[in-house]
Amino acid sequence: MKKKALLRAAAVVAMVCGLVWNAMAEEGVSDTEIHIGQWGPQTGPAAAWGSVARGTDAYFKMINAEGGINGRKLIHHMFDDAYNPAKTKAGVKELQEGTGMFAWVSGVGTAPGLAVRDYLMERQIPWIGPSSGSLHWIDPASKYLFPIYPLYYIEAKALVRHAVKDLGLKQVAIAYQNDDYGKNGVQGAKAELAQHGLQVVAEVPVEVKDTDMKPHVMQLRKSDADTVLLWVSPVHAVKIVGTSKAMNFTPQWMSTSTCSDFPLMMHISKGLWEGVIAATFAELPDADHPLLQKYQKDAYGKFAAKDERWGLFYYAGILFAEPLVEAIRRCGQDLTRERVVSELEGLKNFRGIGGEISYGPLDTAKAYETRQGMKEVFLVKCLKDGKAEKLSDWMAIQYP
Amino acid sequence: MLDFLQMLVSGVAVGSSYALVGLAMVIIYKTSEVPNFAQGEMALISSFFTFMLLEQCGFPYYAAFPLALLFAVLLGFFLEFTVLRRAKDPNILGMIAITIGIEMILLGLVSWKFGADPKTLPFPISPYDSIALGEVFISALEALTVGVALVIMLILFIFFRFSKLGVAMKATQQNDTAARLMGIRTNRILMFTWGVSSLVGCVAGLLISPITMQPYMMWDPLLKGFAAAVMGGMTSLPGAVLGAYLLGIIENLFGGYVSIEFKSVVAFAIIVLVLCIKPSGLFARHYVKKV
Amino acid sequence: MSFFKVCNLSISFGGLAALNDVSFEVQKGQIFAIIGPNGAGKTTLFNCINGIYTPDEGEVFFKDQKINGLRPDRIARLGIARTFQNIELFNHMNTMENLMLGRHLHMKSNLFRGVGMWGPHSFAGQEEIAHRRKVEEIIDFLGLQSARNQPVGGLPYGTQKQIELGRALASEPEFLLLDEPCAGMNAEEKQDMIFWIKDIQDELGITILLIEHDMNMVMDISDHILAINFGGMITEGTPSDVQKHPEVLKAYLGEEDGEGSA
Ligand SMILES: Nc1ncnc2c1ncn2[C@@H]1O[C@H](COP(=O)(O)OP(=O)(O)O)[C@@H](O)[C@H]1O
Ligand SMILES: [Mg+2]
Repeated sequence: MKKKALLRAAAVVAMVCGLVWNAMAEEGVSDTEIHIGQWGPQTGPAAAWGSVARGTDAYFKMINAEGGINGRKLIHHMFDDAYNPAKTKAGVKELQEGTGMFAWVSGVGTAPGLAVRDYLMERQIPWIGPSSGSLHWIDPASKYLFPIYPLYYIEAKALVRHAVKDLGLKQVAIAYQNDDYGKNGVQGAKAELAQHGLQVVAEVPVEVKDTDMKPHVMQLRKSDADTVLLWVSPVHAVKIVGTSKAMNFTPQWMSTSTCSDFPLMMHISKGLWEGVIAATFAELPDADHPLLQKYQKDAYGKFAAKDERWGLFYYAGILFAEPLVEAIRRCGQDLTRERVVSELEGLKNFRGIGGEISYGPLDTAKAYETRQGMKEVFLVKCLKDGKAEKLSDWMAIQYP
Repeated sequence: MLDFLQMLVSGVAVGSSYALVGLAMVIIYKTSEVPNFAQGEMALISSFFTFMLLEQCGFPYYAAFPLALLFAVLLGFFLEFTVLRRAKDPNILGMIAITIGIEMILLGLVSWKFGADPKTLPFPISPYDSIALGEVFISALEALTVGVALVIMLILFIFFRFSKLGVAMKATQQNDTAARLMGIRTNRILMFTWGVSSLVGCVAGLLISPITMQPYMMWDPLLKGFAAAVMGGMTSLPGAVLGAYLLGIIENLFGGYVSIEFKSVVAFAIIVLVLCIKPSGLFARHYVKKV
Repeated sequence: MSFFKVCNLSISFGGLAALNDVSFEVQKGQIFAIIGPNGAGKTTLFNCINGIYTPDEGEVFFKDQKINGLRPDRIARLGIARTFQNIELFNHMNTMENLMLGRHLHMKSNLFRGVGMWGPHSFAGQEEIAHRRKVEEIIDFLGLQSARNQPVGGLPYGTQKQIELGRALASEPEFLLLDEPCAGMNAEEKQDMIFWIKDIQDELGITILLIEHDMNMVMDISDHILAINFGGMITEGTPSDVQKHPEVLKAYLGEEDGEGSA
């Protein structure tokens, strides 16, 4: 009798729990939908990176067209923050507290991302693949933040290593945007040079607002650099290379992944980008890579706007979302944030259309190993027709 | 020494594009006392119009550039006629607000039509070829800019001095009512002023675009041109030109000898300083006598 | 043909009727004076005539052409010039340049003008020389030689008034509106001004519409007088008729010269 009552009670408890469980289903998830948020500048000074969010959008549409993930469709909520952190914050809050996002993906820019990191982390909302290679994403590391973009720091190391070891160049200078992005590059370059017993011969800061690059180029030229790293925006990079050419200064130029969209760089530099070496983190646009080709056909080909270009920063939007999609797939029907986090932490040597991505259970002492997703880049050189020549295979690089 | 010379030359080169924008601002300010903050975006849209003709419609240079200038003039006419003239009870503050409104609309239009990817304007000469004066370099495009700026200054100077219209503009600026009673159609004059100003701005835009073009490209030249105009007292054409060259040279010397980080702040500092210390402009004595 | 006619002119500013049903006619060659206390609407009447204000009602005819509703520059081109009670000169220009602007509406040529641009034998050069000659005549006539190259903003008040008159003359008008030309002048300057006004009538044959407070002067030089107050007409007629009107007597003879010459 007692036993029966207990059993009955247990059954009731289980039922109630089950009901409550269902009613308490994770925010942003239903049986048929998964809501995912993303910001990205479609207007304003950084609007050129707007293609990232559009790439993600086409990727999600492709997945939905193929039946979704475990019966659920991805509902993509992207908004234009014009690269303005105040707008990013307002937009994220609105979507999170209004519609309710399950997770956030990508999001262009270090400053906009920093503006919402605490908000997302405090609420334990997963955020995967911020579109910038800033050290901020792993320093400090957070349980719910999974950066993918390789650190600008390691890009600089890879480039300097190539210059010194393969090309025999020793006089390395750097022109850097005077902010987090540029300074990460300087740090990486200095660290790598120190390993070879060298120093940078000039560090020239470039303000975002600067348009006339003459004074900068004069400083570079005076340093007698044979290699110059460009840790600036594409427009500044073109202006520096062009002004240098006009001033008869022609070192080996090297640049970040930010300026590795060669067809674009070649076009806006009127051909001057030829010979520039850049680090990059994704397969080349015309690579013989089945997955990339599938995306080009089924995502870009079917869902991109008419004048959209199949460029690096379009399919980077896919690359930054691949691990999230994979983790959601691995969750099966039991889709919760905690489960997604543990699936992400379980990713080892995951390869989509970029370098290998691995995470591990959060260990703040090993932030780079457990939270920085991609830890490798490869080097490319710009050819006459805007095509890229691969100079190296994937180079895994340690931080610090 | 060589560095110093190079900085001077570079300063003059960059000063020329400031000078063109500064001149464009002064022309409007002279007749209507409105600092036209839409100036940069008027040049922007004209430049992108040129880009469209050359790159998307396949026009040859000899057709595209004159059409661009015509477009700029008509744009100036259009904005004055349809927007500024309609302002009820115009006061300076309201007019400034209107020009800022126009600025945002034009910027929005360009961003929407042409997207945000950086572009470059096809141009007959390469912006990256250079002319060496001994060890001092100036790019061919910069040399062209200096030349064009000088020619435009000369034309404007002669125009204001010797043309009937130039005199009428001056009269309109000094006393609108009296000018009307002298048989001057002051409305026309204002419209014309906007046309000429837009034309000069467009030339500045076209000389900037062969390097890179993107929707925000005119912000900096506008700010610098405005600073130059303020240095010259806002109403003096030669003042604005001198101001522009001075600013270009100061920026280069400052970047070279003091701090490259704060180079872009110099223009702001100059605006503030001049407005505090000598709001009539650095070269005021010079021009009061002349006018 | 009537030379100049105002019919039932009215205008009000925010409920205040500055002019109320004013009608009169000016004969060619006359000096026609308008008198009335301060605020009577005299200047407003001028502003309606040369197009600065658009009257609410009524019409203005110049040589049988309706001119109300035309722009000021059009009216100027028809041959109506004026001076202002509170001088309106181009302050940063010199006397010569101010007077040359009076010639503006006669300048035919093309874009660029002047001896400096094309040389003295070109068409534009010839034209410019003719304009300058005309302006020199006026400078002589008004005795402005010493002020010729001075920016007018810094010149004495009386001189500025003369320059304004000169600028109006430079446009060779048929009809000249003078708004208190003697206000603020000393006795000697006033004497000169009266002399010039008479000369303008006699020698240049220009019809004059004159606003003046100085009753002695008005009675002396006018052929016909219109008295207004509070925007309405009081009386009209020859100086001797108007002088006898009780309201004019009350307004003026009681406090003769009161406001005008202060
Ligand atoms: N633009 C205006 N706005 C409002 N009131 C005006 C305007 N012009 C004139 N007035 C008013 O009309 C009346 C007549 O002024 P005015 O013609 O200047 O007189 P006066 O006879 O002294 O020349 C005055 O009361 C004046 O305040
Ligand atoms: Mg009056």
